[in-house]
Amino acid sequence: MKIILIIVSVGLIGVACLYWFTQNTNESTSRPLRFVSLAWQEGTIAANKSIVNEWNTLHPDLPIEYIQGTWNSAHDYLITSFETGDVPDIFHYESSVIIDYAMRGYLTDLSPYISPEMKSDILDVAWKTVTRPNGEVSGIPFLIESLVVLYNKSMFEHERILPPTVERPWTWNDLQLAAGKLTKDFNDDGITDQYGAAFGLRSSANIIMNTSISFGGSFFTKENSHFEVKVGDAEKKLLQTIVDMLYKEKSAAPSGIGESGAGMIPGFFSGRYAMLVGIGSWGRQQIVENAPKDFRWGVMPPLKAKTQMYGASTQTLSVPKKSQRVKEAMKFIEFILNTKNMARLALNDWMIPARTSCLQMKEFRDTAGGWDITCSAVSSLGVGSWLGAPGYVEWKSRVANPVLQELFAKRISVDEAAQRIERESNIVLSRYKKRGEVW
Amino acid sequence: MIKRKTFSQIVIHGLIILYIIFLLFPLVWVIASSFKSTQEIYSGSPTILPQQVTFDHYRSVINGQQLFRSMWNSVVVGTVSTIFVVLLSVPAAYAMVRYKSIVNNGILGWILVSQIFPVILVMIPLYVLLKYIGLTDTLTGLTLVYIVWSLPFVLWMMHGYVKSIPIELEEAAVIDGANRTQVIFTVLMPLLLPAIGASALFSFISAWNEFFFALVLMKSPALATLQVELATYTGMEGQARTGPLAAASVIATIPSVLLFVFLRRWFTTGLVSGALKG
Repeated sequence: MKIILIIVSVGLIGVACLYWFTQNTNESTSRPLRFVSLAWQEGTIAANKSIVNEWNTLHPDLPIEYIQGTWNSAHDYLITSFETGDVPDIFHYESSVIIDYAMRGYLTDLSPYISPEMKSDILDVAWKTVTRPNGEVSGIPFLIESLVVLYNKSMFEHERILPPTVERPWTWNDLQLAAGKLTKDFNDDGITDQYGAAFGLRSSANIIMNTSISFGGSFFTKENSHFEVKVGDAEKKLLQTIVDMLYKEKSAAPSGIGESGAGMIPGFFSGRYAMLVGIGSWGRQQIVENAPKDFRWGVMPPLKAKTQMYGASTQTLSVPKKSQRVKEAMKFIEFILNTKNMARLALNDWMIPARTSCLQMKEFRDTAGGWDITCSAVSSLGVGSWLGAPGYVEWKSRVANPVLQELFAKRISVDEAAQRIERESNIVLSRYKKRGEVW
Repeated sequence: MIKRKTFSQIVIHGLIILYIIFLLFPLVWVIASSFKSTQEIYSGSPTILPQQVTFDHYRSVINGQQLFRSMWNSVVVGTVSTIFVVLLSVPAAYAMVRYKSIVNNGILGWILVSQIFPVILVMIPLYVLLKYIGLTDTLTGLTLVYIVWSLPFVLWMMHGYVKSIPIELEEAAVIDGANRTQVIFTVLMPLLLPAIGASALFSFISAWNEFFFALVLMKSPALATLQVELATYTGMEGQARTGPLAAASVIATIPSVLLFVFLRRWFTTGLVSGALKG
């Protein structure tokens, strides 16, 4: 009796396994294409879903399943997907991370699938953020993230300060002078009531790296196809300028040391800070949607150091190498990133669209919301020398951010910070050198 | 002497009150934020209580995303995994305590060792295993994972509880003529009720709050659990849709609180039952 029971049980389990196995093998080609989006604002989610619905109506034979991802967990989600082979067919992420995925062999080279129209319409600077030296394209860039300076118009008028224009941009020196004028202790109690400037410095590597280009800095140098970190005079000058504004001139809010750019926005509304320096262009959305009704604000063109050149990164759509439906995925990408749809996504996310045809639309030349000045900065965008440095993402979180935090908290000097960044960086990078990953 | 005693009591009570305020403050802040307008949340001079109460965030959460569906998914996986964990851990713990065997210590050691492994380490092999048996992207698969994940610790907890019950109580019941089943259900179970309540609560809350397994194993939006759904309210660079996130978090807390209120009765019932009962 026992033996019969065991045989029946084993048989049933075997049949179940076989059923599940056959289900799995047919799954990847019969299911809808999976699109993981990291849109998180209500408007952008709605725009994405609406575009997906339009596609599904037009292409009932090739439906798209919209999956809502999140920025905080996207990396873990994708890495486990790549490793297990159960991948989304299209995913949304950012250029600095996908180049790392490309080096690890997780992504499809999309260059053979891109239409000539898309190729020529997307800005060169955007393509550079996703293109390997051998011409492989790791993702299609569609939104350009740039840093802007926001200012309080009423405070400027009160102090009779003329804001810069695209034709007559400010230098960092102009910014320091204005910040000094705008810093106030209204009741003479020795406590500053209004700061001229505020930087969100909690994870400042991004701001520092992208801004250092205008000072002639690069942090990363490439020698014999390997990257090294060097912090020279140009890089130190930017760091010293911010430290001076925090501690010598006392015109930058010290509360920014532990805050993100987004965290500084309430203080900007309440009049505690006259300028928010180095916030992402998406910050404008928070102001349009959440500012008090009488709040008047503006966007400045990029500040000039040696040049007005700033580093850009892009948000992208990529296709994993393990997706078996690259052609179909690329068809959808061409649809969601056509001129009309890319404009919808950019307007809802308050970022610069990567297509030239979008930038020519009147919506992106509008003075309301600072679109005109934000988009005019496209000509000042460049690509940092760190592009393609293996281990850059880890370097940012393990070396640059902690050392810069210590610097801005005045625990170490600029020279000490420079030495530590060089020393610790090369330890991290040497590990990647051993792995032999090359951009 | 009495004065000194009164003073020390005041200090102790004062510290307890401070601790309770410390614990409650984030909860009060989240509840208050869920009723504030977005402008008020972003105001430079925040207040604890909303200056103008609004239900907009609750409306947006209820209409906009799939909060209730994800909540239902969490209730299903939480409840089923809790039932199985309790059903498996109670007899297992009883057997381990009452039937001495040389493997018992080894099992207990393995239970402790199994708690050391980080989730990320087991994730990929687990995923591959579940994929082969067709249980990825199914609530059944996730429930199974939660059972396996909670069971060792709950078994460890139950083992301690069963061990603390004197065997003499069971022997006395046997002398009075009770058989093994009667001993378990009339003597042991009433005494174990607080332990079962605590284990069930632990198991349910573990499943309810779990994020990573749910994120990776469940691909279909319709099968997302509550924690995965809540994460969609957060954005890049520390940004979040604070109002809707607060409203969704308040709604998400309700089942856990209700479960605790329900199981609290069990705790007290269990404490006064069993051997000391008239």
